[in-house]
Amino acid sequence: MSNYILPIIFILLFIFCIFKKVNVYDTFIKGAKGAIKLVVDIFPFIAAIMIAVALLRVSGITTWLTRLCAPVFNFLGVPAELCELVFLRPFTGSGSYAILENILSTYGADSYISRCACVIMGCSETIFYVATIYFSQTKVKKLAYAIPVALLCSVVGTILACLLCKVI
Amino acid sequence: MNIFWLLMMLCSMVVLLFVNPSAVLTEMIGAASGALTLSIELCAIYTVWLGIIELVDASGLSNLLAKLLRPMIKRVFKVEDENIQKLIALNISANMLGVGNASTPLGIKAIKAMDDGSGKASFSMIMLVVINATSIQLLPTTIIGLRTTAGSSSPADIILPTLIVTVITTLLGIFLVHFINALKRRKKYE
Repeated sequence: MSNYILPIIFILLFIFCIFKKVNVYDTFIKGAKGAIKLVVDIFPFIAAIMIAVALLRVSGITTWLTRLCAPVFNFLGVPAELCELVFLRPFTGSGSYAILENILSTYGADSYISRCACVIMGCSETIFYVATIYFSQTKVKKLAYAIPVALLCSVVGTILACLLCKVI
Repeated sequence: MNIFWLLMMLCSMVVLLFVNPSAVLTEMIGAASGALTLSIELCAIYTVWLGIIELVDASGLSNLLAKLLRPMIKRVFKVEDENIQKLIALNISANMLGVGNASTPLGIKAIKAMDDGSGKASFSMIMLVVINATSIQLLPTTIIGLRTTAGSSSPADIILPTLIVTVITTLLGIFLVHFINALKRRKKYE
């Protein structure tokens, strides 16, 4: 079923564009132009986090940390293999994409672990990064209960994601 | 992030010093080349999606979405200012389409417009941060793209679970922010 969603959305969008008399070709080019600049901007961030994660891995710290967290993760129904992703997600967006890609290639794109990882990625956000950037233009220093509530929602989302991936 | 990265690097290098010192540089360069491969994949994904999103924007569909969201925003965020409502609506609709990079500048503008100079985060600011963190995902575009490159047989089958989870966590977030706000108010009156 869900394989039809994207093509249908695209077809509807293109038909809508015809009605609105949008120059489809030029507009697409204009948007696509931004891709390279965006990737050049985020590349150093991706590289930095991948280097750190690679070192953590060869040094054996990751294995040790995963083993340490496994009981808690198992209790919550979250595969312990997702430990890295869950911990790094609130801090770095591009970095967590790097970890996600790693999970996809290690366990296979259609495995249970990979699907959980994808849903977790989709339902969470780089909370610390967003909060810092959003308030960067103001004098607000105290975010009150914003971060705890956001983190709690992410934890609930993570547990729900793993639960749902078993059913759907 | 600074301290975080420093900690990760230092801890692993100190351990590697005793375990396998020759691996440090090899691993670092290997990881950087992995980052390059990923960036190229992401570039392909962004090319397609940024093009499509430009179409969504140019056709007026994003404004339409924002208009639809406005009454709901008025109620959830408790803001009367129309300009702020529009900024929030655009921020949320960009999030819904899975283009976090497009939503960030809008979020910054919205928060700036809500700032009253008191130095404290207001109710509506906190709500915006929480809603951004849980944001309802209609199309997790980048993730679908990565699954396609990884050879998934049905890359879009994560849309439904993602949508369900984000709807639930967003409702939970809205409820919690309202709940804590009400508790705080009651305390003030007592």
